[in-house]
Amino acid sequence: MVTIKRAFFLLILLLGACSTRPPSQLPPVVEGGSQSTESLPPGEEAAAAPVIEASPENRASQGAVVALLDRADHYQRLGDNDSASATLERALRIDPRNAQLWHRLAAVRLQQGKVAQAEQLAFKSNTLSGGDKSLQARNWALVARARWAQDDAAGARTAERKAAEARR
Amino acid sequence: MPPKKRKAPRRPGKRRKIKRSRFPWIKLSLILLLIVGGYIGWLDFQVYRQFEGKRWSLPARVYARPLELYAGLSLRPAQFTNELRALGYRFVSTPRRAGEVSRDGNRYQLITRPFTFWDGRERSQTLRVTFSGQQVTRLQDDRNGADVALARLEPLEIGSVHTARQEDRILLQLSEVPDTLTEALIAIEDRSFYQHSGVSPRAIARAFWVNVRSGEVVQGGSTLTQQLVKNYFLTNVRSLWRKVNEALTALLLERRYTKDEILEAYLNEIYLAQDGQRAIHGFGLGSLFFFQRPIEELSTAQLALLVGMVKGPSYYDPRRHPERAKQRRDLVLRVMYEQTLIDQAEYQKSRNEPLGLVGAVAGTSKQFPAFVDLVRRQLRRDYREEDLVSEGLKIFTTLDPQVQWALQKSLDERVQPLLKEHPEMQGAGLVTHSANGEVLALAGGRQAGFAGFNRALDARRHVGSLIKPAVYLTALEQPKRYSLATLLDDGPLEHQQTDGVWSPNNYDHKFHDQVMLYQGLANSYNVATARLGLDLGADAVIRTLRRLSVSSPLNPYPSLFLGATDLSPLDVTSLYLNFASGGFHIPLRAIRSILDGEGEPLQRYDLEVARVIDPQPAYLINRALQSVVEEGTARSLNYRFSRDLGLAGKTGTTNDLRDSWYAGYDGAQLAVVWMGRDDNQPMGLTGASGAMQVWSRLYAQTGAVRNQPALPDGFALHGVDRASGGLADSGCADTVQLPFIETGALPPPAPCASGGARKWVPEWLQ
Repeated sequence: MVTIKRAFFLLILLLGACSTRPPSQLPPVVEGGSQSTESLPPGEEAAAAPVIEASPENRASQGAVVALLDRADHYQRLGDNDSASATLERALRIDPRNAQLWHRLAAVRLQQGKVAQAEQLAFKSNTLSGGDKSLQARNWALVARARWAQDDAAGARTAERKAAEARR
Repeated sequence: MPPKKRKAPRRPGKRRKIKRSRFPWIKLSLILLLIVGGYIGWLDFQVYRQFEGKRWSLPARVYARPLELYAGLSLRPAQFTNELRALGYRFVSTPRRAGEVSRDGNRYQLITRPFTFWDGRERSQTLRVTFSGQQVTRLQDDRNGADVALARLEPLEIGSVHTARQEDRILLQLSEVPDTLTEALIAIEDRSFYQHSGVSPRAIARAFWVNVRSGEVVQGGSTLTQQLVKNYFLTNVRSLWRKVNEALTALLLERRYTKDEILEAYLNEIYLAQDGQRAIHGFGLGSLFFFQRPIEELSTAQLALLVGMVKGPSYYDPRRHPERAKQRRDLVLRVMYEQTLIDQAEYQKSRNEPLGLVGAVAGTSKQFPAFVDLVRRQLRRDYREEDLVSEGLKIFTTLDPQVQWALQKSLDERVQPLLKEHPEMQGAGLVTHSANGEVLALAGGRQAGFAGFNRALDARRHVGSLIKPAVYLTALEQPKRYSLATLLDDGPLEHQQTDGVWSPNNYDHKFHDQVMLYQGLANSYNVATARLGLDLGADAVIRTLRRLSVSSPLNPYPSLFLGATDLSPLDVTSLYLNFASGGFHIPLRAIRSILDGEGEPLQRYDLEVARVIDPQPAYLINRALQSVVEEGTARSLNYRFSRDLGLAGKTGTTNDLRDSWYAGYDGAQLAVVWMGRDDNQPMGLTGASGAMQVWSRLYAQTGAVRNQPALPDGFALHGVDRASGGLADSGCADTVQLPFIETGALPPPAPCASGGARKWVPEWLQ
């Protein structure tokens, strides 16, 4: 699974490198931390200033996220939802765009009886889910359960229908 | 009876005589005994109460976020070093104890300190951290090289919640105190501590003799027990009565408690320093206050310094009188050497050691006053004041010292050069995590240490163009009517109102004819925005703002579209978090969790989200805010930041250049910056030339993360001709790719799109 992810990531990198961008008048990019941007003199906006590139994608941080997910599982098995929730929030600080983490947090909120929050967190997970239909289906199923718990039968049925659509 | 009567004249006299000579004496003694006994009993009770009851009220302690270490963490070695320094880690050649670290190029080896968090105890770990560029690439157990998935450093203490003139201390058990300290203390202050029973007549006699000989008070004859009593119960008035009281109480204390119990109380009670309104008591807090390290990590010289201060904490204050304090420390070291507590080598080494103090602000609330102010406000809303100042709560906040230092530095760097011309120039800023609403940094004014007016929370200023995204969002939520390419009229406008004609002007005093909707926002055109607002209606825009949790008063007049309303940087942060988070309202949080005095979980502030903008318009407004940086008023950011980052934001400038605003975000954080003068006079800066420069410096230091939300379902990307706003094809030279909702309005083909007609044919045929 990890290797597939890595290969996919490399593919994206390659595609990104191929994509055409308008030739920029920007100065050469300085990579690495040797040239600190902290030392820029005040008012220095000249073209000589190095361009800040995106921080490296933290694929390596998946190890930390997986460790925290394991720990959250452990807490949930013990019925300690508060600690599970704190642990998932910790993971989200490391990887805030991870739709799976948001889904897991929604599931914990559902167990805690915080059904309205469970529903909202499932929405959040869906906005980050990209093309992951299976995750979307699970999120809608979770929304349906949260809505049943709030006596919103019509809303729950809508969510169930969306879950079914996503599964197709 | 008669004989009695007869004798009466004499015997009563005799009796009286006896009564006088014997009975009053006994009675008096009895009364005296009763009084003294009662008094001693009362003293004894006081001793008992002070010792057995709740001995000390402890202020709540406030902590920054702990630094989480893991492979893949974005962090520069310089930042890591700063964090370790702030935590009082010692840089050594080979770390042997907790709180020590060594650095070899990009590799750090360190031993962390144990700490109890909300979700359990983090034990002390021996770690190897390897950096490459701006990233931690590997985290290992330094003893066996095994990879470690995750480790937490202990959090930096950033303040405490106390009342005026309150005592503050960190309670220590005797077993936690280094023997060197207690031995040195006894050698200096009370050599016969383990022999006497509370008072030491010999010590008093010796002190008396020394004092008489020198003609002044050189030596005190007080035992540690007496000193403890003095600190505990009594005022500082020098009198014989107090001395007697002190001695009596000391004797009682010794009768009731063991030497170790008394010593432990002494170590926690002794007064060592004053920190503003806070009195520093006990060696536990004293160690942190002067060295930013727990007591078990102090060197012999540092312990000797603390021991030496007991005699006169202000006279020997090492920060104010370093020379005097050093002499006293060296005297303590000599006594330790003479008493063979340390050997000659240790003595010589310690004498040559510098005092090794940390700055006066480290570990106190002076360091981050504006942020701690926000924390206190949240605490006062949820807790009783008396619990906050007495229960020893541990408050875990969201402050990220790295971001805080960068924010304050960026703000000061921008404001400093302007002070000559505008001594009144001020600024404020707030940085939040856009996924969870955690406040990472907060600057309430131009100087870090100044705990005055907190502008980030309390300065309510005209927001100008910062309000415009609410107008554009209101439009984009009607996809049948509006898309990013919808043409808006930026020609002269005269709007009839009850109080006259409203004719807004653009900042560049030009009109731009027809502009695409996204361009109206990107270039912050007032006239186009005003027309759009008038089309939508003030009520609709106000409904949008209310939904985005703007709660301050809003005037239902067209001037609202151009920002004629007052908001604080905190309000603006709350508003823009809706955009930065992809359409979710996230309550701002400064506190993660609270532990009670025993380290048991008390409360957690959960992450909460609420969808307030549907995914499609949320995507579009983010795209429009990105165009502000791509080609609009914030485009100068492109000199410093790669276009690939997809930075988004909005400048704000108010009439006559009174306020300079920038609210901007990347894929991880939102930062809002304001600059202006407290007296609301013009200061010559636009949003782009003032606040945005602070923003730019900040993100250059903290690093930027790509802002690239996933395209929601039901979207199509189309090339649009910049000149006409029509759909482009290969025949058009200057185009921009824009996302369109598939079921929504699409622009007509552009004049340059020669192939436009051909393209339609196959569809008709189908």
